[in-house]
Amino acid sequence: MDPMTFSIIRHRLFRIVDEAVITLKHVSGSAITNEGHDLMVSLYRADGTLLMGGVGFLHHLTSAAEACKSIIRRFEGDIHEGDIFLLNDPYTAALHTSDIYLVSPIHHEGRLVAWSACFVHVYDIGAVNPGGFAPQAPDIYTEGFSSPGIRLVAGGEMRQDVLDTILNMVRSPEMVTLDLRSMIACNNVARDRMQSLMTKYGAKEVDGACAELVNQSEDLFRARLRELPDGQWQSRQYLDVNGETARVNLTMTKKDDRLIFDFSGSDPQSPYSINCTKWASLGGLFAPLFPLLCYDITWNEGVLRPVEMIAPEGSIVNCTRPAPVSVATVGAIQSVNNAACSTIGKMLGASEKYRNQSTAVWHANHFAIFKFGRNQKGGDSIGILTETFAGAGGARSFADGVEIGGEIPNPISRMANVETVEAAFPVRYLFRRRAPDSGGPGEYRGGTGGELALVPHKAPDGGINYVISGKGSRHPMSEGLAGGYPGAPNSYVWVKAPEDGANTPVTAAGGLDAISGTQERVSWGVYPLMGRDALYVRWNGGGGHGDPIVRDPEAVRSDVAAGLVTLQSAGDIYGVALRDGAVDETETMAKRKSIRSARLQQEASE
Amino acid sequence: MAGTGETSYLVATDVGGTCTDTVIFGTDGVIHIGKALSTPPDFATGVLNSIVSAAEPMGLTLEELLGRTHLFIHGSTVVDNAVLTRDGTPTGLLTTQGFEDTLHVTRGAYGRWSGLTEERIKNPVQTDRAPALAPRDAVVGIPERMDCDGAVVLPLDEAAVEQAVRFLVNEKQVGAIAVSFLWSFLNADHERRVRDIINRVAPGAYVTLSSDIAPNLGEYERTSTAVINAYAGQITNDYLTSLQGLLAEKGYDGATMVMQGYGGLLPAAEAADRAVGMIECGPAAGVIGAKFLGDLMGDPDVIAADMGGTTFKVGVIQDGKLEYAREPMVDRFHYLAPKIEVVSIGAGGGSIISVDPRTKVPHVGPRSAGARPGPICYGQGGEEPTLTDVMLLIGYMDPGQFLNGSITLDREKTERIFKEKIADPLGMSTQEAAIGIYRIASAQITDLIREITVERGLDPRDFVLHSFGGSCGMLAAAFGQELSVRRVIIPYTASVNCAFGLVSADVAHEYSVTQNLPATTSAAQINAIFAPMEERARAQLAAEGIEPDRMRMEWSVDLRYSRQVHEVTTEVAANTPLDDAGAARLVDDFEALYERKYGRGSAYREAGIEMTMFRLTARGLMPRPTLPAEEEGSADASAALIGNREIYVETKGGMAPGDIYDFNRLQPGNSLKGPAVIHTPITTIALPDRMTARMDRWRNIVVEFDAD
Repeated sequence: MDPMTFSIIRHRLFRIVDEAVITLKHVSGSAITNEGHDLMVSLYRADGTLLMGGVGFLHHLTSAAEACKSIIRRFEGDIHEGDIFLLNDPYTAALHTSDIYLVSPIHHEGRLVAWSACFVHVYDIGAVNPGGFAPQAPDIYTEGFSSPGIRLVAGGEMRQDVLDTILNMVRSPEMVTLDLRSMIACNNVARDRMQSLMTKYGAKEVDGACAELVNQSEDLFRARLRELPDGQWQSRQYLDVNGETARVNLTMTKKDDRLIFDFSGSDPQSPYSINCTKWASLGGLFAPLFPLLCYDITWNEGVLRPVEMIAPEGSIVNCTRPAPVSVATVGAIQSVNNAACSTIGKMLGASEKYRNQSTAVWHANHFAIFKFGRNQKGGDSIGILTETFAGAGGARSFADGVEIGGEIPNPISRMANVETVEAAFPVRYLFRRRAPDSGGPGEYRGGTGGELALVPHKAPDGGINYVISGKGSRHPMSEGLAGGYPGAPNSYVWVKAPEDGANTPVTAAGGLDAISGTQERVSWGVYPLMGRDALYVRWNGGGGHGDPIVRDPEAVRSDVAAGLVTLQSAGDIYGVALRDGAVDETETMAKRKSIRSARLQQEASE
Repeated sequence: MAGTGETSYLVATDVGGTCTDTVIFGTDGVIHIGKALSTPPDFATGVLNSIVSAAEPMGLTLEELLGRTHLFIHGSTVVDNAVLTRDGTPTGLLTTQGFEDTLHVTRGAYGRWSGLTEERIKNPVQTDRAPALAPRDAVVGIPERMDCDGAVVLPLDEAAVEQAVRFLVNEKQVGAIAVSFLWSFLNADHERRVRDIINRVAPGAYVTLSSDIAPNLGEYERTSTAVINAYAGQITNDYLTSLQGLLAEKGYDGATMVMQGYGGLLPAAEAADRAVGMIECGPAAGVIGAKFLGDLMGDPDVIAADMGGTTFKVGVIQDGKLEYAREPMVDRFHYLAPKIEVVSIGAGGGSIISVDPRTKVPHVGPRSAGARPGPICYGQGGEEPTLTDVMLLIGYMDPGQFLNGSITLDREKTERIFKEKIADPLGMSTQEAAIGIYRIASAQITDLIREITVERGLDPRDFVLHSFGGSCGMLAAAFGQELSVRRVIIPYTASVNCAFGLVSADVAHEYSVTQNLPATTSAAQINAIFAPMEERARAQLAAEGIEPDRMRMEWSVDLRYSRQVHEVTTEVAANTPLDDAGAARLVDDFEALYERKYGRGSAYREAGIEMTMFRLTARGLMPRPTLPAEEEGSADASAALIGNREIYVETKGGMAPGDIYDFNRLQPGNSLKGPAVIHTPITTIALPDRMTARMDRWRNIVVEFDAD
């Protein structure tokens, strides 16, 4: 086709997705959608295959394609102009029940020509715990409302009985209404713009451009794969929850222009809701694949074609009904993200040309903490601790990771200001800052994660409660690369005030240990933050890249001066000796030599 | 005409990235225009050159002109430049202990991706934050703490402050100190006491308090603002002082007013203390200029598009009102200050055309040949085809008519390189390929403007499009038609629009109070918030010599639905101070505005409505110069017809004969039909088929789409 028209249509498809995202954020107005950018909008072709993926939570791009396909199968012959379908069953296509897909057919001159799909993390889904993550759910039945596909809008008219039924099952139905309205508005914009694109250029021309766009992505991706070395790379992720540890095992094989992700050897599904279904795993591995390998290729079906996934049934990465999955997006899916990031990073690192594109694992583990309770103004407050979106960058082959720099699967997130949180919740921060020794050591250091401490403040009920799905406090998950160490694990500590009646702390410059009281680890369930107690959270840093004992000693010195690396780690891990704030070169050389020979002896003895 | 003893002048000079423009209004009603190259970092030289270039044709020396000048209005990129080139004062930061990293971690990934194009955001491995203007080792945490009500939780440790100041000044050698504590916008006591200590311990240091410069909720943005202001403060101060000194030396003894990013003027002495206020004041002035023309022509809804060599800028005026940016940035740093929203992308005449070797898909930009080496056709060493070269190839530019014939365009070389680099790889003829590139550029601008208007809940079909800048006239009618705007106007003052905006601005001060109150708050309580602001504003304006009858107090309130993030600044339409009906109307107006902006069904009344910020804009009205209007004469434009040549005509699907007109020979009332091209001294206006262009009584070119 004419390259000019192709170029114009391609650009317009991008803008259609942008406009739909803007609409979604406008109408929704919720913090998680607008600040956390926990959303996704994409366009699909008439057969439900991915046409144009937007910059949202990337693990949804492929599972929303499956959502379109399953709606096509389920409603065959009964799909009409102006319909909008709702789907949130994880065993059909969704990631977990609270991430609702709304899927819209797009018709032009009476013919089904394309689909649009979007999701937001709705305010509530009626699970046993509020907010969507349900650590106390033993199975899918207690994780709230779920549908394998239901018509919410018929021919442009809302089906009020269906809407009322859904709203009858959730907390804060008004907020959920707004979430649903935002998705409807978003799909409407996508549909209108697609229709006018087809009116201007012709449905056949547009579909031809779409087909070419998909083929082009496939060709480009296969060409890139052929440039990369053949081989097999492995990664193991350990996901600990409430004292138990589950393993995700990945072997990635690259041959010619194909990639196979094999999760054989992963643990059986867990009794905890960290499991994920196979569509979720597929989405999980594409989340790092798109930005690491296809940063300059349009994200569509063409990128999917060269990729195959093997996920054993009944395992944590392909669980079977009725295993609970509400924590999947920050559980097994994230482990799949991490493992795929690692194996892809190893492959890229083996290529001279693409070495600079490899990265150690970024922010490998969300801590999902939902606070809820009456605030200082007497109103209800409920919301996620947005520091979980703050993340940390993995180290790269040429530079340190970005401190508190976000995560790969969600390219544009941000956290709320301390003042914003303190204005809405009856809490006060003692500190919020980068956490020392959290970035994985390496020639290039992983970006640090952060730490914070909260105390109740002016709370009418003496404090608040929170739901925590806290995993990964025993095993580090931000894997290092090329000899780099992993980033530090998460840590969740309930500091119980001493009995003697000391006041609520006002400051704690020294960190966790400067808060008086007894420390108790928490990770899974619903807990109080009451009275004079404090909650301390440390989130993981990024993995390191390369051997820490070849890191420039000056960089280590500067990290120590900035409080990002402790003096002890500088000596023990980086082999750098500091004297009066300066590098002692002779002693550093000696230290590094002894670390090296200790390693050799260790290998000899093994 | 000019030059008699009676005439006195208003001189307005805008320093832009490339050129420094001057507009002079005489009391005799005549407008004079001057232009010179900008001279960073010593901008004052360019300012004087620009004024001289306007004075010369008037037959006046600089001294003669300045001796008769009653007001000098100025806009400058000095602050933007100090930040972009990292040329400011070494700066330290004092902040609340426990939160020392706030500036550097930028609310998480926010600072890593903000300001980047979508292409770059899609490759996170290659992204980093810009290093902060205050290095981390020049940040010191101070024991002190306020809470969410501004109540003291931990008293200020003055000894620690003194020690920190000595450390910053002696060890870190900073010359400027920003102070930003949590919740200081509710209780500034601690920050003010720190300022006293700095003044005592380090009297030479430049100090900015976050509670002074950005008294708003959100410690990251407030801290960043204070740091930018401290960093650029001294330079701005020095610049304005030396410029006023130079003007005084040349005989000027009037006041100097300085343009702010929110589109209002401040006396130079005040502007010098608020460096962040001057950021992007040029583009803001451009929007003010467009608004002035819109008001004059009876068009309250205007899309102002400005396309020069490297950037394409869009501002939107709706119902005669300007929109403020929600998250303003300079370089890649966020700040909080009222600033007119102007969206800028890297697309201009210098945008380089390329063909992706892997896919054979042509691209326009994002790289630019800039002013040097520039397009191939300029013959200044450019070897890569640009959008300007395409304009030559499709007949919109005349090799002999460019910039009044001052440069002869090299068509032969342009064709040769374009064929080799673009047409051949695409397997097309040179002309086909050039036409295709033009279509792509026009479609991409259409997409951009549509996205900008959608973001504001607006429909481009309700708007008039103003086209400014050297490259915009060749595309404006084409993308204007695709957007279905009401009409396209290429203003007479298009080449010096920003300087023109300066003379149509008022003195304006912005005040705000952050306070969270329910929408049911009584009128009396709201009035009590505004009263002290008004009192301050009136005293301020009086001190600037503004008579009470020229003072205007404009109230507005930010409202939002509870548990929602979108805040909407809603103008108080009722008489102030408010009565209860007026307060109720404010809430109604908010709801209507919210639905218009965020779409039908977006309102969530059930959760209640809150007021979050109370804003006062205090205006001192400036005498508005009148644009001389002429009688519209005959429609016959044949006296300006200078030729006919092959140009790209979309309806013909290729090249076809088009009439060529000389702008300077057109008279008000003249009307002409496309396909045609009008050459002006600074730009070219392409008029597609089935459109009519008319010169109006202010010599603006007005393009209308013919009815089908």
